[in-house]
Amino acid sequence: MNSHMQEKRGRRLGITYSAPMGLWLTFFFLVPLCIIILYSFLKKGLYGGVEWEFTLTAYRQMLNPNFMRVFLRTLWVAALSTVITITLALPCGYAMARSRHQVMWLALVIIPFWTNSLIRIYAWIAILSSEGFVNEALKALGVIGESLPLIYNQGAVITVLIYMYIPFAILPLFTTIDKFDFQLLEAARDLGASKPESIFKVLIPNIRSGIITAVIFTFIPIFGAYTVPLLVGGKDSYMIGNIIVDQVTKTRNWPLASAFSLVITVVSTIGVIWMMTSTASERARLKAPAQVVDANGGIS
Amino acid sequence: MEKKAFTRGWIVAVAATLLVVSLFFATGCSKDEASSKGSGKTLYLYNWTYYTPESVIEKFEQEYGVKVVLDYFASNEDMFAKLKAGGSGYDIVFPSQDYTSIMMAEDMLLPIDKSKIPNLQYISPLVLGKATYDPDMSWSVPYFMGASGIAVNKTKVADYARDWSIFADTKLAGRMSMLDDMREVMGDALAHLGYSVNSTDDAELAAAQQLVNEQWKPNLVKFDAEGFAKSFSTGEFWVVHGYAEAVFEELEENRWDEVDFFLPPEGGPMYLDSMVIPKGARNVELAHQFIDFIHRPEIYAEFLDRFHFPASVHTKAAELMTVEPFYQGEDLANYELKNDVGADLEKYNEIWQTIRYVD
Repeated sequence: MNSHMQEKRGRRLGITYSAPMGLWLTFFFLVPLCIIILYSFLKKGLYGGVEWEFTLTAYRQMLNPNFMRVFLRTLWVAALSTVITITLALPCGYAMARSRHQVMWLALVIIPFWTNSLIRIYAWIAILSSEGFVNEALKALGVIGESLPLIYNQGAVITVLIYMYIPFAILPLFTTIDKFDFQLLEAARDLGASKPESIFKVLIPNIRSGIITAVIFTFIPIFGAYTVPLLVGGKDSYMIGNIIVDQVTKTRNWPLASAFSLVITVVSTIGVIWMMTSTASERARLKAPAQVVDANGGIS
Repeated sequence: MEKKAFTRGWIVAVAATLLVVSLFFATGCSKDEASSKGSGKTLYLYNWTYYTPESVIEKFEQEYGVKVVLDYFASNEDMFAKLKAGGSGYDIVFPSQDYTSIMMAEDMLLPIDKSKIPNLQYISPLVLGKATYDPDMSWSVPYFMGASGIAVNKTKVADYARDWSIFADTKLAGRMSMLDDMREVMGDALAHLGYSVNSTDDAELAAAQQLVNEQWKPNLVKFDAEGFAKSFSTGEFWVVHGYAEAVFEELEENRWDEVDFFLPPEGGPMYLDSMVIPKGARNVELAHQFIDFIHRPEIYAEFLDRFHFPASVHTKAAELMTVEPFYQGEDLANYELKNDVGADLEKYNEIWQTIRYVD
């Protein structure tokens, strides 16, 4: 078999191998996405649904200052929770990569997913409420006399969001740190770098792709969060996800719901493009074999 | 090196398996897929969750030798969207008043043959008077009429107003919740101010908006339609606006007398769920038989007993009930059905944004 034929055969195999994924994406992502885009430009039906008439009303309605405030709040909550999540997940991933009990740690990170997420959110209500575990424990220790307002506010939303999404940050960080050659740290120390310097100048740049993946895997789902702000949030916790549900189930405005969904999709796409370009540029910079981010790390 | 690669492969395999398993758990909300095998017909009902007692369904199945399959919805909008999207095959659907009228207007229903339902004689004329969209039951037969109210935890609160002004009580600030429901909260405020819960008058709506935003909202922990009953049962919330059955469902029966549940006497919004037969129903005959069966006095009393509902739509069942309902049918005297306000819903929506989206 000559090389030409081999190449041809390889190409055919490539198409065969990618077909299931391609079909999946077409039917369950591209087609629905097109429907959402289409709906966002149509007129709202009086009783839900849409009327086949082109209009930009949905986008005009979106510019309403009340919505803008919710949008900014969502952005802020998502950004803050992501930063805290990554800060916590980095040392976890590091410790796991260096541990001899990797399988055990991985299992411990993933096992909470065996419980339905709603049940875990309700568990947080039991933990944070004024007669909850935290307040009762602090009272028993004499630290506080009156219960602290730990739940039904923005702090509770951020806490629970961090809890929900930290595994999605730990897993990609762990996989990249695990591939990192720790002798580089020793080399850096030998060359006179202090401990923090060796971390920030050697470790962090080398696991950049893992960090970016972790950021994307936390920021995007948090940006579209719905149940957490609804259940542990207070009067000031509405996020874009809640608006979308309201527009479909209460105010029968499907075009506006579609327009908001599109915003979330656009923000997510920007994130993914950023991840892809920065991984690619890093690859070019290192001129080294691809540092492939483990795609298994982030099924969400 | 070889060994390390092997270990890593193994780790990834374990991780992937765990993730897949956990995804199954996370999405494992299995539907009650009753098998429709066996002889006889199958009646397909599309109803609210926790709204039809198991025992009543079983009795119907036995008596008529049929199978009943129940499917549930959580909001009228869900139900309507599903039927509009072509979800056919249901024999009876249970919409609330606004959607009953919408479904009539959209020509989605089959007429009710009253000659096949002798038990319609028990339907209260008062209820039919309120059901202005279908006062002679040509398209819909009332199932239950009720309203949300206020539950107060008497062990925590001793002195309180038994009307909507309780939410303006600053002593209870941070311990109260109202439903996360636009028409309910706005309707309460409108009724408290003496207006119709279906008002579309700008000045009246503005007054209601002001009442909620300035008097009530500062004292509320949150607008909550999901977890309020649980929070009420744990003592986190002392005063909650909501449906009686949801509140008491969370409490052990020996704690029921800790609760004062009342419908504010000024009135407020009320709902009337009806049984309708959608176009595309396969068992129209059987659907009529089921409607007749439900309104058989002893059967209807069994349904009310199960949920501690008052006999608001039935004239005969009250005397057959064996439990005390959470509130009385007479409490609904000043209550008004939340009717469809059509395009004016947008007015409510704009006001609700200032209540719900802005802190």
